[in-house]
Amino acid sequence: MKVTLRTDVLTNNNKAAEFNRELFQNTKTLVMNLMSSPGAGKTTLLEETVRVLAGKYRIAVIEGDLATERDADRIRAMGARAVQINTHGGCHLDARMVAAALGELDLDEIDILFIENVGNLVCPSGYDLGQKHKVAVLSVPEGNDKIPKYPQMFMRTELVLLNKLDLLPYLDFSVEEAKRDLAEINPKSNLLPLSARTQEGMHEWFFWIEGAYLKWLQQ
Amino acid sequence: MHEMALMGDILQLVQEDAVGKGMDKIEKVELIVGEIANAMPDALRMAFDLLRDQNLHFFSVHAELVIHREEAKAICVLCGEKYKPEQKIALCPICHIPSGKVVAGETFQVLSYEGSNGR
Ligand SMILES: Nc1nc2c(ncn2[C@@H]2O[C@H](COP(=O)(O)OP(=O)(O)OP(=O)(O)O)[C@@H](O)[C@H]2O)c(=O)[nH]1
Ligand SMILES: [Mg+2]
Ligand SMILES: [Zn+2]
Repeated sequence: MKVTLRTDVLTNNNKAAEFNRELFQNTKTLVMNLMSSPGAGKTTLLEETVRVLAGKYRIAVIEGDLATERDADRIRAMGARAVQINTHGGCHLDARMVAAALGELDLDEIDILFIENVGNLVCPSGYDLGQKHKVAVLSVPEGNDKIPKYPQMFMRTELVLLNKLDLLPYLDFSVEEAKRDLAEINPKSNLLPLSARTQEGMHEWFFWIEGAYLKWLQQ
Repeated sequence: MHEMALMGDILQLVQEDAVGKGMDKIEKVELIVGEIANAMPDALRMAFDLLRDQNLHFFSVHAELVIHREEAKAICVLCGEKYKPEQKIALCPICHIPSGKVVAGETFQVLSYEGSNGR
């Protein structure tokens, strides 16, 4: 017997994502899903973000990693609430893992929740977590070819943070080329060059977050 | 490699539906995988073989996976040109402006399955 389903493969993930999205909506929690290759600087960016914005917003972070509690500990050291998800080898976070982690957070007491995805430029892009914004982090040492090589990540993110700008003098990365490449894949996406190390350009990121939060409250 | 996880989800979707219909042996699974759906057909086939062999109580040893590719297509919002998006997904080949919108190629569906009641 042949049965026609025509069911989206990610149906179960998408249901969990909708569940999360409704929860975020009801508790007025702005959620951002940060994705990048390993070591692009997601945790460092979040440490700085917590340091600067924690006085103004109640911030929490969900950390996705294959193993270890390291990144969550780094965030806690900056004074924000952090929940670690270990995927035990899984190369991405899915909405069910996030839903489970939400049990450890009181969303009514959180204004902005960052989700640091597992370091990987391929797999995380396909999974809706229920977030409001998808943000990619790319770093200067990774080279200019990453945007054209991983179009499926960059076509689905609305902001790209180009981190480690302090290393520009030592490498042959072209910011102009990256902007052009990004526009050719996703013209709606912005590229923000910055350095979590020297703070250069970080105010633009904070400005973007504050704008996103205002918009979120108004909708 | 998230194709193992994806195939796990696929087989779970099939199994749940099949159990509901009183079937206990799956012979065939057909998928639609868009060219820019973020899943590799070869890796999906490998995952299918592995998971089938681990679940022979529900999948026939000969159960096969058929993958239909959905071609990626984009349309330029300025000139209306339909084109096949390559790496520069949004770049219209006529206007040379990033003005294209993807209209096909992201589908990732379980199209159908075939099964039977072996008892
Ligand atoms: N020079 C420089 N180094 C940086 C910058 N931001 C982060 N780093 C360094 O890059 C390394 C990796 O940073 P992380 O923040 O751990 O990167 P990550 O993306 O969280 O890594 P995973 O969680 O493993 O995927 C660390 O040694 C950081 O100190 C920067 O702006 N400039
Ligand atoms: Mg990290
Ligand atoms: Zn055109």
